[in-house]
Amino acid sequence: MPEVHDRPLGVIVCAADPAALDRLVPPGHGARVLRVAPDEVLAVVAPDFADDVRRELADRVAALDHDALVLDVSDGWAAIALVGDDAERALSYLSALEAPAADGFAQGDVARVAAKILREPDGLVLLVPAYWRDHVRTRAIEDAGAVEARA
Amino acid sequence: MPSLRLDGRRVEIHDGDTVAAAAFRAGVRTFTRSLKAHRRRGLYCGTGDCANCLVTVDGLPGERACVTPARDGMRVERETGWPSAERDALAINDRLHRFMPVGFYYKVFARPRWLWPVAERVIRRATGTGTLPPDAPTRRTPTRFVRVRTLVIGGGVAGLAAAATAAGEGSVVLADEAAPGARATDPAARDAIARLTAEARAAGAEILEQHAAIGIYEGPAAALLGPDELVEVEAEHVIVATGALEAHGVFPGNDLPGVWLGRGAARMTAIHGVTIGERVVVVANTEEGAHLSEALRATGATVTLVTGRVLEARGTRQVSSVTVLTPEGRRAFACDALVLSLGWAPRDTLLRMTAEPEVVGAGDVVRPGSTLAEAEASGRAAARGQADQPTEATSWPIAEHDGYVCVCEDVSMHDLERAWDEGWTSSEILKRYTTATMGPCQGALCSRHLAEHARAKGAAPAARGRTTARPPVRAPRLGDLIGGVHEQVERRTALHDRHVAAGARMDHSGVWLRPGTYGDVGEEIRVVRERVSVMDVSTLGKFLVAGVDARTLLDQVFPLDVGAIAPGRARYLLALDEAGYVMDDGLLAALGDGSYFLTSTSGGADRMEAWLRNWIDRLDLHVHLVNQTAQLGAINVAGPNARDLLATLTDDDLSRAAIPYPGHADIVVAGVPCRAIAVGFVGELSYELHHPRGRSEGLWDALLAAGEPWDIRPHGLDALDVLRLEKGHVYLAQDTMPDDHPAKLGLRWAVASQKETFVGKRALERMDALPLERRLVGLRFDGAPQRGHPLAVDGAIVGRITSCAVSEAAGGPVGLGWVRAVDGAFPDQLTAGAVTATVSPTPFYDPEGMRLRA
Repeated sequence: MPEVHDRPLGVIVCAADPAALDRLVPPGHGARVLRVAPDEVLAVVAPDFADDVRRELADRVAALDHDALVLDVSDGWAAIALVGDDAERALSYLSALEAPAADGFAQGDVARVAAKILREPDGLVLLVPAYWRDHVRTRAIEDAGAVEARA
Repeated sequence: MPSLRLDGRRVEIHDGDTVAAAAFRAGVRTFTRSLKAHRRRGLYCGTGDCANCLVTVDGLPGERACVTPARDGMRVERETGWPSAERDALAINDRLHRFMPVGFYYKVFARPRWLWPVAERVIRRATGTGTLPPDAPTRRTPTRFVRVRTLVIGGGVAGLAAAATAAGEGSVVLADEAAPGARATDPAARDAIARLTAEARAAGAEILEQHAAIGIYEGPAAALLGPDELVEVEAEHVIVATGALEAHGVFPGNDLPGVWLGRGAARMTAIHGVTIGERVVVVANTEEGAHLSEALRATGATVTLVTGRVLEARGTRQVSSVTVLTPEGRRAFACDALVLSLGWAPRDTLLRMTAEPEVVGAGDVVRPGSTLAEAEASGRAAARGQADQPTEATSWPIAEHDGYVCVCEDVSMHDLERAWDEGWTSSEILKRYTTATMGPCQGALCSRHLAEHARAKGAAPAARGRTTARPPVRAPRLGDLIGGVHEQVERRTALHDRHVAAGARMDHSGVWLRPGTYGDVGEEIRVVRERVSVMDVSTLGKFLVAGVDARTLLDQVFPLDVGAIAPGRARYLLALDEAGYVMDDGLLAALGDGSYFLTSTSGGADRMEAWLRNWIDRLDLHVHLVNQTAQLGAINVAGPNARDLLATLTDDDLSRAAIPYPGHADIVVAGVPCRAIAVGFVGELSYELHHPRGRSEGLWDALLAAGEPWDIRPHGLDALDVLRLEKGHVYLAQDTMPDDHPAKLGLRWAVASQKETFVGKRALERMDALPLERRLVGLRFDGAPQRGHPLAVDGAIVGRITSCAVSEAAGGPVGLGWVRAVDGAFPDQLTAGAVTATVSPTPFYDPEGMRLRA
């Protein structure tokens, strides 16, 4: 049974020309850059580094697209971690998507809402708009057999 | 000894028993009554294929007794018959059969018109198959998704051989089909199954035990139903190895209790040790049937093995004699059990659901009557891409005289003949008229008979095929069908827990869960009008529109003059589609850096985003759009004391010079950075505070604490509905219809017609040239109106009320409603039942808007 955790994450959105994003050098601080659309990337990072990554992204993309938008949108996302060896099996009860490889991500329907799936060393992270946090947690527990994390 | 209760009677259970085995051993012969004629029905197929043994188990109807394992303490009830299945008063229907020919209820209850509702109730009570438990807890089967290279459906010899072979090429899932293996009573088959199971597992195949496929879909994809889950499988290849069942014999008396299909009799005898009769006649045209007679003899029964065609079975409570046309001539036998092994009918429903080349068959389903070696070879060949082609040929005698073709729906040969004579001359329309094949077994027994009947009657080739196969193959429960589906995927704002803690009644409002009221709607309204209140409006759609072409986009898409909005100002915004119809509304605020902040209705946010992105692409503009709906919370602070309240929590300038109406400014409230937008939806001084969602609770708490001197209260949707109505503001969808253009809604002022272009402009110009046929108007009533009530003039309905409320602020009952023009003019006096409605200008409250501009 995987455990369900809320995982604090910083999320920075960068909306820019596709050509600019093609040439964008990823930021540091362990940020994972998800190309969620041709003209949009999300940088996912530990919360402490969110501001650094936002600045870094803004500086880098400005040279490629002068009016690109870079915003810290961490408040808009909920990161729900399925921790444990059974995380992938639990995911199969929530989504037709396959779990991504370690360096990739998947996006699509999870528990019938739009989500990104990231692989972490201890399991999987479901990144969903914050207003769906409770829904996805409930489905993970009721449908996928996950359990609340021990305090 | 463990036991179950059957109709209240204690029935002992032996190890490995099914419900049917235990009941039969205890002397039960009649398991159900037939749908229309209420004929006795006993165990027949014994493999879960027919519907003769449907019983209610622990309150859940429709369980097949022959494949349901018996458990200690189980409560089993027979579902049909009144007052009981054994003594059924409605069995009189069997004698009245000639007065109730096929399709009679299509004809005889048509006149007078009141008769059908009465007849329908009577018919339904007389024909039901179990009662749904109204108080049963909601049960939703979890759904699991699996993507696999090869899906094998069927856990017999062919299926296991296919799985074992395919597993060498990639991932394999095998659904064992839940039903007992076709040759479960054959020791050689059991050995082969054990060997192949081990081989398949060793090769890495995942075997899903007790899982049955209920449908195959485009993809190919399949739905597998297991004891505790529904598995949706996407596969590159599907191998259907569902085997064959014995052909259904159609002859007079074929549905009597005591008539068995061979494998059902074999299972009852060999697996459960139940003797099916003392004098058994086996009519066998197959080798397996001949072996079966040996097994039956071993139980001590007197067995007569006959080859030939069954002409007739007789009996009352159960079969007592059978007449067979043998090679030696017509012969009659006394018996208490008749076992039929006439030939093989492939279980090919799944295979016929799709024409996709990736779905193939193996074993008996394509070559009925295969030997074990042939079945194994067929499975391995299918796994290697060399599948056998299915055969449509029947190896068993088709029905000729009378007898029940469809035992589920009580359709006899006589019924088919009569329907044919009435002009229903193809297998598909015979099915629809007679309902043959439409019962719980979904044509497993009778669909070939129906097609063969059409063929024998000389139907054209296109009219004599098998009827269309559709899911579900096996009857799932409603809880299985809704597996993985949630009727309400609700969005929650960051303040959800605060609302619940405050005792709010939470309502579904579109995709959101929102507070309807905190208990006293009247007080919530008064607080807004007289003091200060807060409302969670985080649900509003919120968008940041930036980029060098941001203004061009907004100007070309929306009908307002974007260039006239100075930084720091905001405007009401209508969104029109290409037809000029209103699809959404909101607010557009110009930011200082050339970008814009746009809000839409709560329910329209997703569509607004998709729509704007579409126009960015179509117009090829350099615009960046960020949907901030999830990122930003929003709280509306409204009331005459709103500014005073905020002043206690901010050092920023709140004057009209700093935040004009309608306009906005970035301020800090209780330490929370906010975009404060002066708005007027409720008609009072109001500030929408858009802020980071993670700070919502702190801001909400601070506002409520600081508002105590004014006895602040939050308000919910119920109060908002009245407040906005007093101002004459329209609720999209509630007050509007899909083909409303601005003029019909009195919103022409929100359209800058002088603009060269915007989406919907040409359509509006064309509609402007036509007279309005209806419009939304304000109404005052002399009594309490009802929303949705028709509005009439001289008794003729000319409109309806879309919103209404009794309003203190407006001085009585007011509302909005649709009114059609009568003789080219709009009426100003209407009736809504006993209430008189007078068309009245809006707003009803503070028409000059002095309060919201305070």
